[in-house]
Amino acid sequence: MISRFSAEIGTAIATAGLGLTAVVGSLEYGVGWGAAGPEPGTFPFYIGLLVTAASLVTLAQTVVGRAALQTVLVDRIQGMRVASFFGPMVLFVIASLLLGLCVATALYLTFVMWLQGGYRIAISAAAGLTAAIFFYFVLEVGFQVPLLKGPFEAALGLY
Amino acid sequence: MENFAPLMHGFGVALTTYHVALMIVGVLLGILVGVLPGLGAPNGVSLLLPLTFTMDPVSAIILLSSMYWGALFGGSTTSILFNIPGEPSSAATTFDGYPMAKQGRAAEALTLAFLSAGFGALVGVILITVLSGWVANFALQFSSPEYFAVYFLAFASFVGLGGASPFKTVVSMGLGFAFAAVGMDTISGGLRLTYGFNELLSGISFLIAVIGLFGIGELLLTMEEGLRFDGIRARVAPRDVIRTIATMPRYWLALVRSSIIGCWMGITPGGPTAASFMSYAFAKRLSRRKEGFGKGEPEGVVAPETADHAAGSSAILPMIALGVPGSATAAVMMGGLMIWGLNPGPMLFIERPDFVWGLIASMYLGNIVAVLVVLSTIPIFASILRIPFAIIGPVIVVVCFIGAYTVAGRPFDLWLALAFGVAGYIFKKLDYPIAPLVLAMVLGDKAEDAFRQSMIMSKGSLSIFWSNGLVGTLITLGMLLAVWPLVAAAAGRLARAKSSSAAA
Amino acid sequence: MLKKTSWLLATAFTVVLGGAAQAEWQPTKPVEFVVTSSPGGGTDNFARIVQSIIAKHKLMDQSVVVTNKGGGSGAEGYVYAKGAAGDPHKLTFGTNNEYLLPYVAKLAYKPDDLTPVAAMALDEFLLWVNAKAPFDDAKSYIEAVKAKPETLKMGGSQSKDTDQTLTSLVEDATGTKFIYVPFQGGGTAAVQLAGGHIDSNTNNPNENAAQWKAGMIKPLCVFSPTRLQEGPKVTPTMGWSDIPTCKEAGIPVDQFQMPRTTWLPGGVPATAVTFYANLLKKVSETPEWKEYIERTSQTGRFLAGEELKTFIAQDDTKNKKVFEREGWVVR
Repeated sequence: MISRFSAEIGTAIATAGLGLTAVVGSLEYGVGWGAAGPEPGTFPFYIGLLVTAASLVTLAQTVVGRAALQTVLVDRIQGMRVASFFGPMVLFVIASLLLGLCVATALYLTFVMWLQGGYRIAISAAAGLTAAIFFYFVLEVGFQVPLLKGPFEAALGLY
Repeated sequence: MENFAPLMHGFGVALTTYHVALMIVGVLLGILVGVLPGLGAPNGVSLLLPLTFTMDPVSAIILLSSMYWGALFGGSTTSILFNIPGEPSSAATTFDGYPMAKQGRAAEALTLAFLSAGFGALVGVILITVLSGWVANFALQFSSPEYFAVYFLAFASFVGLGGASPFKTVVSMGLGFAFAAVGMDTISGGLRLTYGFNELLSGISFLIAVIGLFGIGELLLTMEEGLRFDGIRARVAPRDVIRTIATMPRYWLALVRSSIIGCWMGITPGGPTAASFMSYAFAKRLSRRKEGFGKGEPEGVVAPETADHAAGSSAILPMIALGVPGSATAAVMMGGLMIWGLNPGPMLFIERPDFVWGLIASMYLGNIVAVLVVLSTIPIFASILRIPFAIIGPVIVVVCFIGAYTVAGRPFDLWLALAFGVAGYIFKKLDYPIAPLVLAMVLGDKAEDAFRQSMIMSKGSLSIFWSNGLVGTLITLGMLLAVWPLVAAAAGRLARAKSSSAAA
Repeated sequence: MLKKTSWLLATAFTVVLGGAAQAEWQPTKPVEFVVTSSPGGGTDNFARIVQSIIAKHKLMDQSVVVTNKGGGSGAEGYVYAKGAAGDPHKLTFGTNNEYLLPYVAKLAYKPDDLTPVAAMALDEFLLWVNAKAPFDDAKSYIEAVKAKPETLKMGGSQSKDTDQTLTSLVEDATGTKFIYVPFQGGGTAAVQLAGGHIDSNTNNPNENAAQWKAGMIKPLCVFSPTRLQEGPKVTPTMGWSDIPTCKEAGIPVDQFQMPRTTWLPGGVPATAVTFYANLLKKVSETPEWKEYIERTSQTGRFLAGEELKTFIAQDDTKNKKVFEREGWVVR
């Protein structure tokens, strides 16, 4: 269970961090106003400061109004549902990077439909394969847009 | 109407069975690339380009421009059905289009989107026809200070919009600016904010951000509510489409206003994406039903779609007349023009009137064909919503990530899309507005470049923004617009009370 | 003629040697053309013309896939090529930015990380002014700049790139000073000049041809040792060959050209380099290529092997001098 209060605090700290990152990063490029107008770092520098300041205000507002923010933002069941969707998605990204997009697509669709959707494994695998082949032909062959490839395509000599 | 006769001649050229068939093929292909995020009109156009080398230039440009219209329509489809803008310029359509689809009004939203898009496109083409000479000269008056003023106007129209905390709005917009600044800086010729990572060399793609924030973020939200897709109830009968067509005149004011904004942003360098955002902002401010915006208000679909297409079609004129491509698609088409032996530029109108007027005539016909084709695809697209979420959800995930990869072929973008997805989910849960972030990512670096170019020209003096009537008017208008929310705060209370009683 | 003969000899020599040493290399899978500009850019047109010629004349058995990696002014493509070390199925298309970019920006590749294959053309630079400007030759324009230093605006594409380097060379040679305004691309610089927002630019012929034809701008001189090739008249009175060279016109900058180059990743077999050099040589002999060169008013010149290395070394030294003088070099 996550309360609105803790989520607000966490997000404000994260955005303040991003703002500070921009500030620190832009220092390297000069943040003044030269003869020819602003230097390269000026704009991101002040934007970073602004983001940091606004995040701190949000943080302060959250702390001051914490009584009203002790509501449940995501309850246990919702959290589980999101995690059960997000987890396989992360695995899909990792699989794509290791095995290529087509193979990862087939695996991901098969397992999600089978384990989470409650479909029979044969149907799930068929759907996953069809989708992977469809994307391969439409994008790679049809539109000549190269997809991320992995060892499987290399073994087939497609790449 | 000295342009009337050549236009009629152009219609003669464009209205052959062969050319109409090419239009239909082009529109269908365009819808396909438009529907897939990551693939866009530039991909389609560069793919078809080699095929057109053997064609007559008029036929070739008809095929390519029809594909462009199709892609714009396809982009709106996924915005409405899945909250994933297939094209950057249809991002603003998600704000009300997707809520409508969730309420089971997908067919209505799609019909409205297509019809208003068609209307906007026609207004844009009519503008080109009537004012071709004037528009080209007007566009020549724009230099960096004027560019900056146009962008400033677009930002100003967005300030103070929506009920979110102003600090959260600042955070969102600021992050957009910061992301836009990453990568190569045109003015200094050096890299910025890459922190030594090669992955950041080419900056953070706007499309990746949109795929993550809208597409993946929305999927996570949908999941949270349980394994179902709210659009399932959508039943599409052809009569829904027809019934919606009958309601179109109701939105005449939004249509006219959005067409004006769209044409303005098309002939100035604002472009379709900025046009659709600005038009949405104005619609929300001026509508009598502003409370409904963001929750499935039809006017919130009509406004961005009209402006998007009005800008898209009127932007073709500067491209032909000045030889400046307004977008990646236009750049690829211009490459095509040269390969067909035509030189885009002021002389094209004089040297090859058959080509120019054939193209303009095909813009009229192409858009009419496109509207008819896409209207007939509504039942097919809407029926996708009836597929169980256990299947369609993961498929959308796959489409999002494949789309993210095909944007530039960078494996790193998959992680970026995932990160933006998480950010989109959290922002939505905590009421951070996403639109300012998206707008800042589209226009942020352009506005900064224009500002710094102006400063180089004026040797650091801000007075350049009031150096002539055009830029002075634009900047002053922008400033008025920016402070308007403060001025109208008191009056706004009154108006809001009135509109809420009207809605009730 | 002499040059051509010696080139032919050199090729024949390498082909014979290569053939004798080991079987001729051939691509075994689709070849990726990595374009270091976004769609529609000059480098993009270059790569796609080569692609279309290869396809039309069936010069290669394998197919070609074009990918655009134009981020960071093209650095993205070169970094990508560096990462593909040893893979002879990736041919990168660029300009002289391959060896010049690393001077002005901190990048994760060194010019030596890539293997040069061939340069296929030299793009020319001209000095252009607005048609309504009261200058009819380069000399009077330079006088005007000299009279009012740091007031007249020179527009160009990008910063610390070819246009600004050339501007700096002109400034140094004539003792003048412009305000250099960097735009996103040559097309914008052309329209800005036609609209009278800047006083001059140094665009390539192709970028300004349309505006010249329409009588909105006029060329003053070309930064080439000889006048441009004769062709049809562009305006009623003038063609490309009527434009004086800048040296003739009184600006002592006799040569500034941008090579259109192709590269392979590092660590590829020498036979692969020979294969692509021969392939591109064949491309450069087709009528379509000649037509492209003429249409874009570039100078067709095919350089490979040692000749190319010498050219790169010279071009590199010349540009580096400007970069150092202007203080653009990053550590």
